[in-house]
Amino acid sequence: MSKLNETDIQGFVLRGYNLPYGRYILLRFENPDRARALVSKLLPIITTGQRWDNGKPQSTVNIGFTHRGLAALALPDATLLSFPVEFQQGMKKRADILGDTGLNAPARWDDVWHGNDVHAWLGINGLTATALDDCCSQLRSLFAETRGAVELAAQDAVSNMVDGQQTGKEHFGYTDGFGNPDYLGIERNSQPGHGKQLPDGSWAPLATGELLLGYADEAGELPAAPIPHILASNGTFMVYRKLHQNLATFRSFLDEQSAVYGGGREKLAAKLIGRWRDGTPLELAPDAPDPSIVKDPQRSTNFTYGADGAGTRCPIGAHMRRAHPRDAFGFNGKLIDRRRITRRGQTYGRFVPEGELASDAEERGVVFMVLNANISRQFEFVQQQWIEYGNDAKQGNDKDPLMGNHGGHGKFVVQGDRSATNPPLVCAHLPSFVELRGGDYFFIPSMTALGMIAMKLVDPR
Amino acid sequence: MSNINGKVYAMNAITPMKPWKTWVLRLIFFVLGHVKSLQQDLINLSFIEFARWVVVPRAGFPQFGNGQEPEKLTYDYLLFFSNFNGTWNQYIDAFSAVLSKGLNLIWQWSEKFPGSVPVTLFKEYIGRVQFDTDYYFTAYPHATANDLKAAHAVQASYDDLRSRVNSLSDAEFADAYMSFVLQVQPNLGETGEAPVVF
Amino acid sequence: MPNNSGKVYGLTILSPILNDDEASPSHDLQIRSYLAGLSTGRESPFAQAPGTHLARLVVMDDVIFVGAPAVEEHLNSKYLIFESNCDPGPDGTIDSYLQGLAEYAGAHLDAIWSHCVGYPGASDRAAFVRYMKACQLETTFFFAAVNDKSVPETLRALQTQKAVADFVETHQGMQPGQLRAEFLQLVATLDAAPMPAVASATVSREMKIGGRNE
Ligand code: HEM
Repeated sequence: MSKLNETDIQGFVLRGYNLPYGRYILLRFENPDRARALVSKLLPIITTGQRWDNGKPQSTVNIGFTHRGLAALALPDATLLSFPVEFQQGMKKRADILGDTGLNAPARWDDVWHGNDVHAWLGINGLTATALDDCCSQLRSLFAETRGAVELAAQDAVSNMVDGQQTGKEHFGYTDGFGNPDYLGIERNSQPGHGKQLPDGSWAPLATGELLLGYADEAGELPAAPIPHILASNGTFMVYRKLHQNLATFRSFLDEQSAVYGGGREKLAAKLIGRWRDGTPLELAPDAPDPSIVKDPQRSTNFTYGADGAGTRCPIGAHMRRAHPRDAFGFNGKLIDRRRITRRGQTYGRFVPEGELASDAEERGVVFMVLNANISRQFEFVQQQWIEYGNDAKQGNDKDPLMGNHGGHGKFVVQGDRSATNPPLVCAHLPSFVELRGGDYFFIPSMTALGMIAMKLVDPR
Repeated sequence: MSNINGKVYAMNAITPMKPWKTWVLRLIFFVLGHVKSLQQDLINLSFIEFARWVVVPRAGFPQFGNGQEPEKLTYDYLLFFSNFNGTWNQYIDAFSAVLSKGLNLIWQWSEKFPGSVPVTLFKEYIGRVQFDTDYYFTAYPHATANDLKAAHAVQASYDDLRSRVNSLSDAEFADAYMSFVLQVQPNLGETGEAPVVF
Repeated sequence: MPNNSGKVYGLTILSPILNDDEASPSHDLQIRSYLAGLSTGRESPFAQAPGTHLARLVVMDDVIFVGAPAVEEHLNSKYLIFESNCDPGPDGTIDSYLQGLAEYAGAHLDAIWSHCVGYPGASDRAAFVRYMKACQLETTFFFAAVNDKSVPETLRALQTQKAVADFVETHQGMQPGQLRAEFLQLVATLDAAPMPAVASATVSREMKIGGRNE
């Protein structure tokens, strides 16, 4: 496979920028002509996948559209109807499928999601808070100048800082951001554990079509895509979910359970995810964190679950083992290669170190963004079957202990052994540690496609 | 009418075969039935509770006279019935991804079978030859094949401990109970409602 | 025998449906509408009669044309398919299962099969069994994920599993003496528990079909 055209693909799709400040602006288009004028003005400032030879830019801008947004841009009906059903419906209509009910039901989402007004998403990242603000005021003057869009809401996000230093930690205190798939043709050092596992145990990048439209996927065919092909190629779909974290609930759960758990508080925290809070994978170091593994990309994601069928190192129901089961289901991973997602999350809200008082009511969580070629086959499947259900992992209806929509009824089994420091533990009546505050499905077009949209050149055949 | 009951999906499919090919297929099934490798793959797939293929020769449709007109067919037919857990797409994706050789061996004798890879053409074919279930019963709507296996495993461990409990001292029991918990710990998932089918 | 797999049986029955121009609605439609209203829960004929793990009834109204160059052809009769995964008798035959259906669910069977050619009715058990076996097709290849457990054994196991999961959760860290006493209590409770009902938890759900190429 030849190298991808990085100048045609939005940068956000090809890499996580790792810039500490983020703002996600949600727009409504008022009038198709003016909206297209806005897209034209945005085109030159959209960040592409081109390499940053001169270091990181001060800020980045990326754009995506909901199906309603594409309709508001007056794309031809034949094109609009050619999008996959789940994208046409949008995330709210998929609530029952996704298990977004009860505490996570759309009625409880942030106001901006209550109507059907969100047409576009602008993702802005900045090296500094000032750079972010500068970029946003530039954008806002474009909204005003073209009268192409109304800003409905802006979600700020910021990487958690410890002693003024950017960390990869999310609010529960886990270091995040180790595991993301490698894809063919994307220039990046391939890392063991990132792609798919081959029968000989080695790792190879996934087919490009698992991320980008217009390329062969793991089934040896082009992913379902809208017409015309040129509108779809080099584009992808993004799932945007604002996930609130109940930090106080999480911490008191650890306190209560570790009072009876012989492994102690930190080990219990590790068992929930599959990594110690510093990021050490349980499969590689079940007894204690090992910073040397965390720092070494050859080891930090290089593990499998096959030899731990009983789950005594990493519990069968742990978050990471569910979300990316690697070899756990046999068949050389063939059952999971088309269920991989690329994560681009960023934390929002104030970081509260352990030992300081936190409340569930404070605005705090992750803006969880997923990129995938097929929302239904990849994200929705992972969310429904692996996060909110446990059958593939042979854990019945048990949900992901941390991410599951438990509402007080969750259960999690920590498989253990005879040793005093790794005993079995059954946690019942789990509360919801994470709650959904809204989101939607977005199409992230290529630069070519954005130009076509801006210039009204989309022709279904 | 629904193909779904609780955690199971009932698939029915019928495909036409030239009669001479039926004999090849019968031979293949005979071998598969004895080689057990297909069976092993089906077991490992772990979301099929029961499945069967039935060859109906063109003269083999039950006939009772009484005014029932005899069938005049040129093809023999292959009927396929499956009871699987999870989504239709997951099922066919899995078949295509890991059992493609076995499936081709079985269905390539059917007219117009496109092969089980790539999966979209295969799904189109299955979609075309599938017919819907009028009535579907399961004794265990809240359990999948995995749930049933887990329950049987727990039962076996429980029966074992139960048979010994009276002969054990408290201390011995505590030890035996620990072993019991370690045996059953992978198999304690709740049973319950299935996710919404999509 | 490909109809048997271990202790389970794969029964495949095709009964020709009456083709009567006078009937309105036609007999196949009458079967369909009866089946549409038939309980899939505890009131199901397959819950009332013993021995069914999973079963389905399907009106096959024709064969399917797969497109040229295959030739188009049609059935002269429509068929009622009865596919059951069930417990055979100790001798491995299906007779006792069929007799059980006739005995416990005869009225339902009559309501369904009375639209089929040559159906003798369930009240004459021997004739009923003979008829069903005359409609039976030999399974060519039968797969059963679990083939060594009967329906009652399975229902018991599900009950035990739930009880054990609860027990383990509520007895963590308990002193040995008390633990043993409580385990004996669990044994007593489970021994005394009635056989759980078949198909007890059927719920109707809304279906969402979606996703092109998915
Ligand atoms: C507040 C919500 C969440 C938090 C705090 C969280 C946290 C984490 C952490 C700490 C890791 C391990 C670090 C790593 O391997 O990169 C991880 C991995 C992962 N998570 Fe989450 N997660 C959240 C929600 C989700 C959801 C909803 C999904 C899927 C729908 C998901 C999918 C994944 C995947 C695919 C991995 C990578 C596993 C691997 O490659 O081994 N996460 N998550």
